[in-house]
Amino acid sequence: MNAIVLNVNGRSASCNVEQRDSLLEVLREHLDLTGTHVGCEHGACGACTVSMDGVAVRSCVVLAVMSDGRRIETIEGTRSDRVMNVIRRHFHEKHAVQCGFCTPGMLMMARDIICRHPEPSETLIREQLSGQICRCTGYANIVTAIRSAAEEMRQA
Amino acid sequence: MKPAAFEYSRPDTLSDAIRLLAEADGSAAPICGGQSLLVLMGLRLTMIERLVDISRLPELGEIRDDGRDVFIGASTTHAAIEDGLIPDPSAGLMPRIAGKIAYRAIRNLGTIGGSVALADPAADWPACLIALDAEVSIAGPDGQRQASVADFVTGAYETILAPAEIVLGFHIPRCASMRWGTSKVSRKSGAFADSMAVFVEADDGAAPRAVLAGTSSHACLLPGVGRYASEHRTLDKVELRAVILQDLTDVAPDADDYQRRCHVATVSRAMAEARQS
Amino acid sequence: MSHHDEPDGWIGRSLLRKEDNRHLLGASTFVGDIRMPGMQDIAFVRSGSAHARVVDIEKPAGLEQRVYTLADLGPIWSLDSGPEMASFRSVPYPPLASDRVRFVGQTVAACMAPTRAEAEDIAQQVVLNVNELPVVIDTVDSLKPGTGTLFDGWTDNAFVHATIAGGDIASVAGAPVQLRRQFKMNRQSVAPLETRGIVAWWDYRLDELVVYISNQGPHVLRHGLAQTLGLPEHKLRVIAPDVGGGFGSKNRLMPEDITVAAIAMKCGHPVRWIEDRREHLISGVQAREHYYDLTLYAERNGRILGLKGELFVDAGAYSLWPSGPFMESSMAARNLPGPYRIEHLHVETHTVATNKAPLGPYRGVARPGACFAIERAIDELAHELGMDPVELRRINLVRAVDMPFETIGGLSLDTGDYPVALEAVVEMLDIPAVRARQARGEKDGRRIGIGFAVYTEQSGHGTIEWTKRKSRVVPGYESATVRMLPDGTVHIAVGILNHGQGLETTLAQVAAHELGIDPSQISIRHGDTGTTPFGFGTFASRSMVFSGGAVAKASALLADKVRRIGAHLLQAPLKAVTISAGAAHAGRASVPIGEIARVANIRPEMLPPDVSPGLEATATYEPPDSGGVYSYGVHATVIAVDPETGVVELLQYAVAEDCGTMINPMIVDGQIMGGVAQGIGTALYEESRYDESGEPLATTFGDYVMPCAPEIPSFQIKHFVTSARNTLHGIKGMGEGGAIAPPAAIANALADAFRDIGAAFNETPLTPRRVSDAVARAQGDAA
Repeated sequence: MNAIVLNVNGRSASCNVEQRDSLLEVLREHLDLTGTHVGCEHGACGACTVSMDGVAVRSCVVLAVMSDGRRIETIEGTRSDRVMNVIRRHFHEKHAVQCGFCTPGMLMMARDIICRHPEPSETLIREQLSGQICRCTGYANIVTAIRSAAEEMRQA
Repeated sequence: MKPAAFEYSRPDTLSDAIRLLAEADGSAAPICGGQSLLVLMGLRLTMIERLVDISRLPELGEIRDDGRDVFIGASTTHAAIEDGLIPDPSAGLMPRIAGKIAYRAIRNLGTIGGSVALADPAADWPACLIALDAEVSIAGPDGQRQASVADFVTGAYETILAPAEIVLGFHIPRCASMRWGTSKVSRKSGAFADSMAVFVEADDGAAPRAVLAGTSSHACLLPGVGRYASEHRTLDKVELRAVILQDLTDVAPDADDYQRRCHVATVSRAMAEARQS
Repeated sequence: MSHHDEPDGWIGRSLLRKEDNRHLLGASTFVGDIRMPGMQDIAFVRSGSAHARVVDIEKPAGLEQRVYTLADLGPIWSLDSGPEMASFRSVPYPPLASDRVRFVGQTVAACMAPTRAEAEDIAQQVVLNVNELPVVIDTVDSLKPGTGTLFDGWTDNAFVHATIAGGDIASVAGAPVQLRRQFKMNRQSVAPLETRGIVAWWDYRLDELVVYISNQGPHVLRHGLAQTLGLPEHKLRVIAPDVGGGFGSKNRLMPEDITVAAIAMKCGHPVRWIEDRREHLISGVQAREHYYDLTLYAERNGRILGLKGELFVDAGAYSLWPSGPFMESSMAARNLPGPYRIEHLHVETHTVATNKAPLGPYRGVARPGACFAIERAIDELAHELGMDPVELRRINLVRAVDMPFETIGGLSLDTGDYPVALEAVVEMLDIPAVRARQARGEKDGRRIGIGFAVYTEQSGHGTIEWTKRKSRVVPGYESATVRMLPDGTVHIAVGILNHGQGLETTLAQVAAHELGIDPSQISIRHGDTGTTPFGFGTFASRSMVFSGGAVAKASALLADKVRRIGAHLLQAPLKAVTISAGAAHAGRASVPIGEIARVANIRPEMLPPDVSPGLEATATYEPPDSGGVYSYGVHATVIAVDPETGVVELLQYAVAEDCGTMINPMIVDGQIMGGVAQGIGTALYEESRYDESGEPLATTFGDYVMPCAPEIPSFQIKHFVTSARNTLHGIKGMGEGGAIAPPAAIANALADAFRDIGAAFNETPLTPRRVSDAVARAQGDAA
């Protein structure tokens, strides 16, 4: 077991983790932050996307011990995030949610895209969303929601 | 899909990392971004008993530009290259390659050194770095050594790296003026390539270099294609196809009809892109 | 049912979804999010052999108590599955294999530990000793004489052979045009983003087994699971919490469900199994895998006379409870004639067993294969006759004047105008402009192709249809209990299971329409056998028709009582009282529904003498004609294809469809787009391949290719609304239609792109390799 300290959603969290525990495992099973979902455990679906030191990562292919000292933000930490709340509203209004399982990872990635590309084209959004699997929506409404959220952010 | 138990160490120095790897006698592996390694471990497809975390070693994060060549440390992420955060000796080729590797969240952690050291046959960096005539710096128990990337990769998941050696980074020659093209065929966006080609042509008189990845072995220079390119300003589709097929008999002897069609397509298109730019 | 004069406009409104908030906050509760004190994890030992006799199962020394084999589960009663037909060979599917394994990935033992990783460590130490047996992998070859059988006592590898026929196929034997083609839709995984999962424990306070499970039909599951465990149903509570997609794959009783429940009854603490993606891809429900050998008989003018053929459906190693694999075969055969005026049909079906994971339902069930076969064959016929494929469809499609129309496959198409939908997609894609572009050629050497496919979607079918299918469980109705609380807000408990379809919103719209209150005042409760009335769950595009009907009916009963109390409070005659906008009205006087609810619940002294206290009503509903209603539509796509590498890009995708009245058009569009994306996966990307030894080759998302945003185009959708004759509000089910037509439309577009060389695109998924190979074959060019 290794003792690590993470900064999770603005708070310091000390955990005793097994070497083999992924960041995803620790977030969900040690810290009960179950908004980050398990879709494939091999970095291919994006359901477990979180922010680490400000960039989007797949928490299933990050070892918890390796993230010692890092700043982690999960979907639970975004409730008062201004950008995320705009994105959330557009996801709601554009019907970009069906079963909701991909949604937290999709939102984390959406914010990452908008922060890097304030004026994203449809093509850019689609390319940047590659590897974020949504089995329900056919992506169209997710793409629309991200575009319109970005537009609102530009005007704000 | 949980990895079997293993030991973990995060040495503070490069020499400690090399020592730990040496002591493990082949049962340890260095880990940096972990974007491929952790997947293999989750499937319990490796026999690794110890991971040596090299992600925070300063030597691997170095970036140096002396005007003649650029040194890119092994722990540089695909995303850093994609976003142009480091000097680009390749006139835009490296950012373009980086931006098409897997998915953005993977690119944020996956590293150029890890990609080359793993030597997946379909990986993008070995092909790109061979085309750029890059050299790899390696640190080991007996000190440092250099090799061309073309010599470094020797087969599918095979390199000249000894068990206690670590890739430090890559020296990529700067060229005043160059043209390049690249083309990839894969089942979907972000998937490993069924065929991937990079073509680089400098204006300083160096021989053009065409490299193919996605075969059952490792990324390889296509010597016949390079010669053809140096001898022909205008590419003749039929002639070029014959030249590529000839090179394939050496670099991809086991390729089936479909794979040969893909290889012909990616190599031709990479060259066409370079020539039209 | 609407007794009030001024409906508030909830039907047909694109109301934003009530269920979004929890998902957007990351605060939903999927089964993997359940936390129980003392919970331990299960990992399964799975067969590495495709077919073998089990010699023994060695438990690791010192860990015997942590490993469960079949003998350790206690008595397990096996259930007959599949249709109630004498000719169907029903075989038990044990929760854990003890004497024989029949596919790679079959469950053999369950290992328990405080964490999943430790459970996997134990599983890795369990040794399974087997004697290998010959494997049966190829669908068609499985019936070759001399092939060994999967089950002792079987004379061949068929669960059932059956003939589906209508008219007299012999009468068209002399037709001037006869076109024979073979089509294959390969096997795929269903792959909802949330895998399966189960958390179970014995609740001593209530003296019942509690099973949380990611599932589409908890009531039916309870019935099956209770029988298997020998537990009376009142001691088994099944709860499906938030479910991260199902698409059919979470609607069968699976071996892991039984094993985990049985262990929970023994071990004294909560246990959990969350399927990992590898497990899902090798042992979750797999789907499709149809092989067709068809002959079309036609006149030279394009009139199709008959359809003859043979159909193989590869059911894998076992039949899943309750329905079994024959449903796939019979539906495919009956849907083969599509919405065409074909008069003679003869299809021999073979539902075969092979050493692969068991086949189950997946969105569209059977029809994507049938649609692929008939729509491809029609394009081939058009090519043969030198006709435009659209024109050939015009000639043969059922017309509005023919309605209702019974196809030769026995489907009673109820309402609609199919040719109008066909003309609509031609217009939406501006086909003349696309043809001009196609003729010009692309600069990058790609070719342009245009493809069409027509589909029908039987939905809302009940007792008549399911008894025709010899189903062991006949989903002939749904129930709803509507309860108005003292403040006038409403709880509605239903037997269906919302898992992405937006039913918490649309059922509230239906109830709001009846009750005259805002949908925000209504909560839909579902998924818990302990708190909801019996129902069959959400599948087969049935929930809006059945559960919508039940909710409306129960709401109308309740509204009637609200009006009666309202009339009393308003001192007005009952017939003068209407309810809308949250109040009961009589002339200019009105009383808020909240006041009526208060009186009914907590001020019984104010009730009229002949009205009992409380506000609650339960109703069941089945449409008057339970043969089903038919949504339909036409898909058309424009593709660009690289002739060398075979890579396909979808440039445009148009859908013209008619699903009757739409309760919530926004949600209807969402269902269409999601369905089409899945159909695109079937058409181009997804395949569960096996090698000749039965080893599954697609075990991660690296090998099992799921389309992402760059692979899916944006969509053009046009609706026609022909109300159903006998469902509530004239609605039709529509959840599956999107997934039915894409393989056919896309393959037809590929055939169109290479019409000049006649390349054949008759096998899905049309991967770059298959496309490139087909082009090369047609060109007679190897590399």
